Amino acid sequence: MKSASTLMGATKLASPPFQRANWRSGFGRQPITICLLVFAGYYLGARIGFSLTFQPHPVSVLWPPNSILLAALLLTPPRTWWLVLVAAFPAHCAAQWQSNVPTSMILCWFISNCFEALIGASLTRYFLRRPLRFINLREAGIFCLCAAICGPFFSSFLDAAFVRWNQWGDDSYWQLWQVRFSSNVLAVLVVTPFIVTWATGGLASLWKANRKRELEGVLLLLGLALVGAVSFYTLGPESDSALLLLPLPFLLWAAVRFGACGASTGIWIVALSAIWSAAHGHGPFSDSSPEQMARSVQMFLIVLSLPIMFLATVIEERATVEETLRESNALNRGIIDSLTSLVTILDRSGFIITSNEAWRRSHELEGAPTPGIDVGANYLEVCRRAASAGDLSVVSVLEGIETVLSGERIEFQCEYPCVTPAGSLWFEILVLPLRSEAGGAVISHRDITQRKAAERTIRERDARISLAAESANLALWTIDLERNESWMSDQGRAIFGLSPNEPLTRKLFFARVHPEDREEVYNAMELARATSESFEIEYRLRRPDGETRWLNARGRYLRNASEEVAELICVAIDVTAQMKANLELRLQRLEMARMSRVALMGELTASLAHELNQPLTAIASNAAAGRRFLQQGSLEPGMLDELLVDVVSDARRAGAVIHGIHNFVRKNEGERRAVDINETIREVLRLLHSDLLGRAASIETRLASTVPLIKADPIQLQQILLNLVMNALEAMQTTPMAERRIVVSTQCFEDSIITGVRDFGRGLPRDDLDKVFTHFYSTKPGGMGMGLTIVRSIVEAHGGKLSAANTEKGAQFFFTLPIMQKCEMLQST
Amino acid sequence: MSMTPELVCIVDDDQSMRRSLQRLFKSAGYSAEIFACAEDYLAREVFDGPSCLVLDVRMPGLNGLGLQEALEPRGAGEQIIFLTGHGNVPTCKQAMRKGAVDFLIKPFDDEELLGAVRRALGRSEDYLIKRAERREARERINKLTPREFEVLRFVITGLLNKQIAAELQTAEKTIKVHRGRAMQKLGAISVPDLVRLTQRAGIAPAIPSLRHKARVSA
Repeated sequence: MKSASTLMGATKLASPPFQRANWRSGFGRQPITICLLVFAGYYLGARIGFSLTFQPHPVSVLWPPNSILLAALLLTPPRTWWLVLVAAFPAHCAAQWQSNVPTSMILCWFISNCFEALIGASLTRYFLRRPLRFINLREAGIFCLCAAICGPFFSSFLDAAFVRWNQWGDDSYWQLWQVRFSSNVLAVLVVTPFIVTWATGGLASLWKANRKRELEGVLLLLGLALVGAVSFYTLGPESDSALLLLPLPFLLWAAVRFGACGASTGIWIVALSAIWSAAHGHGPFSDSSPEQMARSVQMFLIVLSLPIMFLATVIEERATVEETLRESNALNRGIIDSLTSLVTILDRSGFIITSNEAWRRSHELEGAPTPGIDVGANYLEVCRRAASAGDLSVVSVLEGIETVLSGERIEFQCEYPCVTPAGSLWFEILVLPLRSEAGGAVISHRDITQRKAAERTIRERDARISLAAESANLALWTIDLERNESWMSDQGRAIFGLSPNEPLTRKLFFARVHPEDREEVYNAMELARATSESFEIEYRLRRPDGETRWLNARGRYLRNASEEVAELICVAIDVTAQMKANLELRLQRLEMARMSRVALMGELTASLAHELNQPLTAIASNAAAGRRFLQQGSLEPGMLDELLVDVVSDARRAGAVIHGIHNFVRKNEGERRAVDINETIREVLRLLHSDLLGRAASIETRLASTVPLIKADPIQLQQILLNLVMNALEAMQTTPMAERRIVVSTQCFEDSIITGVRDFGRGLPRDDLDKVFTHFYSTKPGGMGMGLTIVRSIVEAHGGKLSAANTEKGAQFFFTLPIMQKCEMLQST
Repeated sequence: MSMTPELVCIVDDDQSMRRSLQRLFKSAGYSAEIFACAEDYLAREVFDGPSCLVLDVRMPGLNGLGLQEALEPRGAGEQIIFLTGHGNVPTCKQAMRKGAVDFLIKPFDDEELLGAVRRALGRSEDYLIKRAERREARERINKLTPREFEVLRFVITGLLNKQIAAELQTAEKTIKVHRGRAMQKLGAISVPDLVRLTQRAGIAPAIPSLRHKARVSA
């Protein structure tokens, strides 16, 4: 307990809560124990007191009970003092009754004893404000003043008054007072410190003492006992009074080595032996009268004990301070040693004041930066020598240390490599100025090999990622939304057309996105932000130099610990080349389809000419007829009107045919809209009308009565039908005229429309039906063989399927096309 | 130009063609009837005046050429003008061989068509007249007995009665009697009359089997 209190900062730092705790912990036992102890102690003290009375003098030289009571009061909190007094009363009564003292006297004495103890304890407590422990001079002084002097001083008045009042004895008031006073003072000085010191730590330290100390203690006790016996017992009154000082060395030894506890114990022993010897007629005091003897002994003991006590407390104080210092040092040592870096402290000139465990152990590491540099060596010298020996990294370190020492810099940091047999290590040296009046520097070397390795790994990984990104033409970028920072890979900057230092912001990003794609990109990103999923979008980029590039980008929003959106990471690949290729391919396909259509038209030329001829001829005839009537003067308005109506309708008809041809063969973008397939079939048959006649084939239509709209390109749809019907006609070239029939049918099935073109010709090759769909397969002399291939690709592009089958006589081609959905219909309007 | 009624028949599957042609012919003063298909025309009763047929080659069902063939046996003598959208040499050859008046390619000049119609109607009239004449001649000749007919046939070869008798192995007198009666029945005055009549009727002279001296006709 004593060490704990000293550690916590001896005199200056004791705080009230701690004080309170101390009261409790110091004597935190239950009231019962206190009562018992007080009772026992008081009784025992009384018995001892009785035994130390110089007969026939009624006053004992040393009356312990008061001091015991005082000690009890000093050791317990004020609120339990009443308990102490209550416990002491029976002991007091018990002790005094045995000595035939009148009851009133007993009571009076009890009152005065309590008074003395109370005064002493209250005053001490008031001035001290914390438990008494005899740990420094101030405490000892206050104790002496308040408890040893004031208490007895004031209580002696009362005591003497009581004695006179009870007429116990026949001494005068002042005699009584003197006797009482000196007796009480001695008792307080001898007994109370003994009890207090033992109670507040002496017992604890007894447990903690090691063998040596125990031995020492025992020796001391023996010595004291011996000396006591010698000086107070064996020596007579005629011997040299200087021998009285024989116990002094032992007492000093006790004070120095065992502090207040030892000193008080020693004093107690000396007092006991002196008084006991004198009481039994031995020793240097025994030749006087009992009163004189008492007084001499008391004086002697008081004079002896006071300085010893003061010395003891000074020693305690010093010991406390030393202890504090030692512990503080140990703590600092512990701190510095627990650092894993190699730490050393230099003074202003570069000499090493101290270094830590790691530093010292680094001797064992070969190649470590601090071989064999111990406390006292000059670090700067060592560095200079290493520098001149050729170690270049040391030069900058040396300069750094020197500038920190001189105060030019407030910090120096440097990383340097070290080659050891174990491998190449990296260290970091940090030099900081030492914050003390003497100046100096704190140097620490830290092994950063792992950190360097990690850094290198990260660098390599970054390099790999960059390389991969470069080779794949990837753009990588991140935007930290919390800190509003961004990073973009070099490749990304090149793709986006950003200069190397231009920061990427959301605004800048959207400025680069093609205006038509901005909304789609924004929506996709916002959806991903809300749902925490990754988004994938394709959009066009418009670079500052005007070039447009296609990007396929993927990104994700990352969330931080509090589930808020913190960062956006994106990766984008430049797919312009592929897009361009796709576009070209598409254009080529369209061109192919167009060529096919042109070829079809070519095949129909004769029929088309006929289709145009009919209306033209009719118009010519009508016009000639009209002129004739006019010349004859017999042109009636009604007839003229009829005539002109016919002319107009024929002109329209011709125009329609021309339009039809033109539309059919022109470049077609493939725009799809809602189309009625039955209507398209009828249009195509009208177109083929004369061709059918020419080949003497009859055509039969079995169209579904109502057919839902499909989303298709009307031109391409016509192309399909035309192609299939022409093929059917082609297949029936060798068929007898009467049997030449084509059946065109439509029907709805689930969510698509099935269209069929059936002929009664020679049929398809039996072994491989699909052959007809291959490129360059043609049965027509001079045919390209691309027709069905293109038709199939058109059907499939519309989401349908084209297939062929042989029937009993001839073949049938049928294709499906999906019905237009309501949503598509709403879109197209 | 004859005063008997003439008819132009238009057969074409295209309505506007039909109407415009009808108008044209009307404006030229002809009466015209329109038929949508060959069958419809065949269903019509034969017109007994000069008529011509304006026909489209390409028609559903029986086409123009088919109709031409179908009309031959009827012997109505209608003249056909073909109209077509495109010139096809084999078709044209066939049509002309079978006796078409003209083969016009659309779009045609109205004058061309009307000229063809005129020619066609003329031919038709000629045909009808010839047919009537033949009928009439045939009727007269049918009044003869077979023997008389036989003798007639030798007479128009220019043989003497004697030679005819030798041919027919009868007496000359018999021949004379037959000849006289024939000429009386036929109302011919001279041998050339007989010749013209038989020519009109389309009766060929007999071929003498014996060799005879050439004889100058009296």
